[in-house]
Amino acid sequence: MSAALLEIESLSKSFGGVVAVSDCTMTIREGSVVGLIGPNGAGKSSVIDLVSGFEQPSSGSVRFAGVDVVGKRPDQISRMGMIRTFQTPREWRDLSVLDNVRVGRSDLERESLWRSLTSARRLRRQDSIDTEELRELMAHYHLDERRNDRAVGLSGGQKRLLEFARIASAKPRLTILDEPMGGVNPVLGERIGEAIRELKKAGSTVVVVEHNLPFVEKTCDEVMVMDLGSVIAQGRFDELRDNKRVVDAYLGNDDE
Amino acid sequence: MLRSVSGDMSIFWISLGMGLAVAAILALSAVAFTLEYAVSNVVNLAHGEVLTIGAYAAYVSDTNFHQSLYVCAIIATVFGALAGMALNFGLIERFRNQKPVSTLIATLGASLILQNLLLIGFGGASVSYGFAQGSLLHVGPFLWTTLTIRVMLSAVVVAGLIYILLQRTRLGKALRAVSQNRELAQVSGIPARSVVMQTWAVAGAISGFAGFLYGETIGTITPTIGNGFLLLSITAAVGGGLGRPYATLGGAVVLGLVMSIAGTYTSSAYQLVFAFGFLVVMLLIKPNGMFVRGRALTVRA
Amino acid sequence: MLQYWTAILTEATIFGVLALGIDMIWGWAGDFDLSAYAYFALGVYMTIIMTVGKAKAPVEYVLGWRLPYLLAVVIAVVVVVAFASIIGAIALRNLRDVYFSITTFGAVWAIYYLVENFTPLFNGYNGVFGLFDPLGQHLSYNAYHYFFFAFCLLVLFLVYLLVQRLSTSPFGRMVRAVRDDERAASVYGRNVFWAKYRTYLFGAGLAGLSGGLFAAYIGAFNPLDWKPTEIFVLYAAILVGGRGNPRGVVLGSFIVYVGFVEMTRYIPSPAARPELGPALRQILIGLLIILMLKFRPSGLLPERLGTDGTGVRRSWRSWLTRSRRLPDPRHDDVAPDPAIGVES
Repeated sequence: MSAALLEIESLSKSFGGVVAVSDCTMTIREGSVVGLIGPNGAGKSSVIDLVSGFEQPSSGSVRFAGVDVVGKRPDQISRMGMIRTFQTPREWRDLSVLDNVRVGRSDLERESLWRSLTSARRLRRQDSIDTEELRELMAHYHLDERRNDRAVGLSGGQKRLLEFARIASAKPRLTILDEPMGGVNPVLGERIGEAIRELKKAGSTVVVVEHNLPFVEKTCDEVMVMDLGSVIAQGRFDELRDNKRVVDAYLGNDDE
Repeated sequence: MLRSVSGDMSIFWISLGMGLAVAAILALSAVAFTLEYAVSNVVNLAHGEVLTIGAYAAYVSDTNFHQSLYVCAIIATVFGALAGMALNFGLIERFRNQKPVSTLIATLGASLILQNLLLIGFGGASVSYGFAQGSLLHVGPFLWTTLTIRVMLSAVVVAGLIYILLQRTRLGKALRAVSQNRELAQVSGIPARSVVMQTWAVAGAISGFAGFLYGETIGTITPTIGNGFLLLSITAAVGGGLGRPYATLGGAVVLGLVMSIAGTYTSSAYQLVFAFGFLVVMLLIKPNGMFVRGRALTVRA
Repeated sequence: MLQYWTAILTEATIFGVLALGIDMIWGWAGDFDLSAYAYFALGVYMTIIMTVGKAKAPVEYVLGWRLPYLLAVVIAVVVVVAFASIIGAIALRNLRDVYFSITTFGAVWAIYYLVENFTPLFNGYNGVFGLFDPLGQHLSYNAYHYFFFAFCLLVLFLVYLLVQRLSTSPFGRMVRAVRDDERAASVYGRNVFWAKYRTYLFGAGLAGLSGGLFAAYIGAFNPLDWKPTEIFVLYAAILVGGRGNPRGVVLGSFIVYVGFVEMTRYIPSPAARPELGPALRQILIGLLIILMLKFRPSGLLPERLGTDGTGVRRSWRSWLTRSRRLPDPRHDDVAPDPAIGVES
């Protein structure tokens, strides 16, 4: 059994009087692709926000690679090797597509103000070397032709692929995707499924929050089901199909 | 704006009283500012100029057309409304698809234009209204002129009208819907553009009237009086709760108090420094406003 | 005639340095900072009071040293950056967009009124004076002005090289990313506050430096010389030249600043109404700001993209045809800022 990469224990969060996450416990093992499903309002996105540092839990703990991350800022947690997406693609609109992927590489030491002033020539040379690698990556996602255009001009589908290219260049330990299939056509959906498989091959553990159940079935090794703020079931997709609690949760709160 | 001497308690009450009149005018200006933000999601840096336009309109009708006090007040209100609508039509609506900061910068440009047009038209020297100040009256610990009392009463009346508008008319309800979500309101059958225009007319009318009241209270006006009112309106609105009329009103009251107290114990020139200090402190500890629940982690428009 | 042009160009050069600083905060980091002028003014005041010696009653001001001019400028820059480090730490923590701009708007006026009224600081309304030709007392009157212009030009050139280098470096790229989407930037490990803060301090430092230059140019300084409304010509200049592009900013500074000064020469300003000329100038500046924002927000020289060079033709004519065919790159359209967690 591979090591636990992300350990969530008794996580709870309330916004005002509304309970979003309630005593949620789950463990994500390294190397797996885990689907996180559940009806609307189950708390899935809140868990992502809590885990990635965009919200602070009311109680409970989150350990990423063995380190307690509650209270850390999002950028601190990312630097530990976690990357998450949002429900809509968030490209850096006025940067070129090439630069979007380049910045994704997270070569933070190069970005010191001092070094940018004093070692400009060396940094520029490094950039040129990186460009080769980045172009390969972008070609893989069919973005190479648009590499010198502003990211804002890409189509919605291309922006989603850009996000994957960006993640791929960052080589994270854990990738959390928040509804990557939202409003996506089947052809693009195939491409995204492939992208997730490639992320796994490259060594990243992936968590996918999704409503598109066929997609989850095809892409994920394991599935966790949330309802009303906590995990109500987990296991392989075909096992859960017959799980009464899961069916009830979906039928009971069905507003998809 | 105010004259004060430090120390003596009776002086404190007197300056507080005088301060109340100006604070009342400020409250109206702040509420108008907040209505503009509520309906168009815009910080209107040309807001002070609408006030000034009203003040000058009243001046012209007094000096050149020798109208009575009440007619001048109406003229000021009408011109304020026209200015508000022109600003909305010519600028605000045209920047609707841009970031709020871009619109803010654009209103800065508009402020430059309007202020300097007034400067060209009327010169930089101060001009005065010809209305009588009236006799002095002791009301409790305060020392007021009948003029001051009239100013404060009309401010209260206008505040009451605003309340009625917001709570009991269709426009008020539509305004709230549009300020929440313009697209949604439009789709629900509310003529958003018309509501926005009407709101700017109302906000402009209030500002124009406030400009007239200012001219009445202080006696003289210049093309640059808008600067002070803009800054203080922003302070009151942001301090109380941007986009919320009642919260802004509360903010104006608190600001008035802060400035009065500051004015009593230091020189009157520092009141503005204290006012802005108040703004900065509010933005740091409660950026959503004193009278608004909840704390935003990052405050963005 | 040559004298006149030297003076104007010297001013344009000094304000070019200031514009580069403002552009870093506005164009690169995306924060519209209205208090830049306060940093400039502080630079001027500090430079003067550190070179003209002790205050003699009834004039009052703090410090009052007799340092060599260049040393005073360096210290002035340090003081300005220190001051900016406090304001920046407060304003950039949690405030963005409109709220940030309002805060700086309030701050600059508060500082203005404070300086105007608190006489012990910089002699209040009457201001400070006495800095005469600090770089070359032995030169003739005319020669000194050419020399000082050349000096300012050199400073601008060096500053430009530095700023341009920073703009196209990984740091500059990262600041633009933070500007375009903070949340995405933090997801990729960038410390948003620290990025904006460093940019802010650098920009403030440049503002202070331009103040130091201006101190020598003008010799005396009082609140009338820096009413916050006077700075808007520079914002117009940055918009015209190209936000986020140091070359554009310098270009815009010269075009707009010199253009406007020249233009007001030809506007009739009758003796009875001396305020007419400046008022018309301000109206035109306001119009320029509005028109640029509406129709060409990216300016003459748009912000440079990080491209790999191939497939991108950089010809002079291409920007003309490009601007007619393609949509404007920096149209500042509202990018919808979706809520992080729609309950899912």
